[in-house]
Amino acid sequence: MAGIDTGGGHGGKRSTNHEIPLIPFIDFLLCLVAFLLVTAVWSQMARINADARVPGPPQNDEPKDPPKEKQLHVEMKGAEKFQLVWKEGNTVVNTIDLDRKQVPVGDQGDFRFPDLAKKISDEWNANGAHRAATDAKLDQAVLHTDNSTPFADVIAVIDAIYTPHRDLTWGGKTEKVAAFNVTFAVN
Amino acid sequence: MSEKALHRFVQPVGVPGRRLLHHIPLRFVRKKVTGGGSRSVNQEIPLIPFIDFLLCIVLFLLASFSASGELPIDKSIKLPNAENVIDMTDAPMCAITGTQILVDGSPAGSTRVIEEANRLQRVEELFNILKNKRELWKQLNPGKDFPGVIVLQVDRKVQALVVKSVFQTAAFAGYPNVSFMVGRLGKN
Repeated sequence: MAGIDTGGGHGGKRSTNHEIPLIPFIDFLLCLVAFLLVTAVWSQMARINADARVPGPPQNDEPKDPPKEKQLHVEMKGAEKFQLVWKEGNTVVNTIDLDRKQVPVGDQGDFRFPDLAKKISDEWNANGAHRAATDAKLDQAVLHTDNSTPFADVIAVIDAIYTPHRDLTWGGKTEKVAAFNVTFAVN
Repeated sequence: MSEKALHRFVQPVGVPGRRLLHHIPLRFVRKKVTGGGSRSVNQEIPLIPFIDFLLCIVLFLLASFSASGELPIDKSIKLPNAENVIDMTDAPMCAITGTQILVDGSPAGSTRVIEEANRLQRVEELFNILKNKRELWKQLNPGKDFPGVIVLQVDRKVQALVVKSVFQTAAFAGYPNVSFMVGRLGKN
């Protein structure tokens, strides 16, 4: 196997050559590999972001006339429809009604809204204000839901809002990011 | 005393090696009968590259080893799945089961109260726990901006009213950036 040969050991002295016990060392390494593989964490968990829109106390440094930007309001109107509303401040610019067609995905009872995702992508391509790669600001989408809506539906709609992606150049690197930033309307 | 005289006292232990047919005095005959100098059938296993490979695996697994185990997910929560997701972050975990609200595993309120009231409300217990967590973070990290991120683990059947109440409470307690924990769904 492996050994250290110093070339000595003559003249009746004890030999200075040594055999390294490689087999126990390999056994130890294999045990370590097996243990680490068994205890390894292969997590499939991820997260989906949302800001809170809640009424807060008035602030002193709040601008009196904030710039009015177009926002896409996604309203879950009952169990039948979605309503997409483009607003500039309190002014409604455009309203689009959409049937609520859910498509089951996987075997865990998940579903998606592909029609909604496609419509939101089209709307962003037509009306999105922040589309340049150098523009660090994202377009804003606000989600309104009924109080009785199950959480799985809320996530399916947020997932649809995050479908359109765009390039964002940050620190010399360009990467794909979601085109919208989602705010969950609490009121 | 000569060496020959001592020979009978020497222990009969010789150098290990081949013995069979090696005593034949004629060299060419001995060479033929003992294998004729053909290639040895003994093979050295290349152990050094094998050990290098094992060491690489060990180092990789040690680097990705997590002593705290998997992300703590309450067993009673069935998370929804989503496609357009981002990687997890290190933030306080707030779990909403069918009946309870938990912050990092500790009870922080009941969902029944919100459902029975049937209106949006602030969960006082949750608010106090989150506020204390924020103040502790500020004491531990003086001069740094508080990120205000909280991760919600919500069961897929929980009503939006409960989620909104927890969402609002978290925002009031200084956590306006909420992330919902979801399973990663493969893109079609």
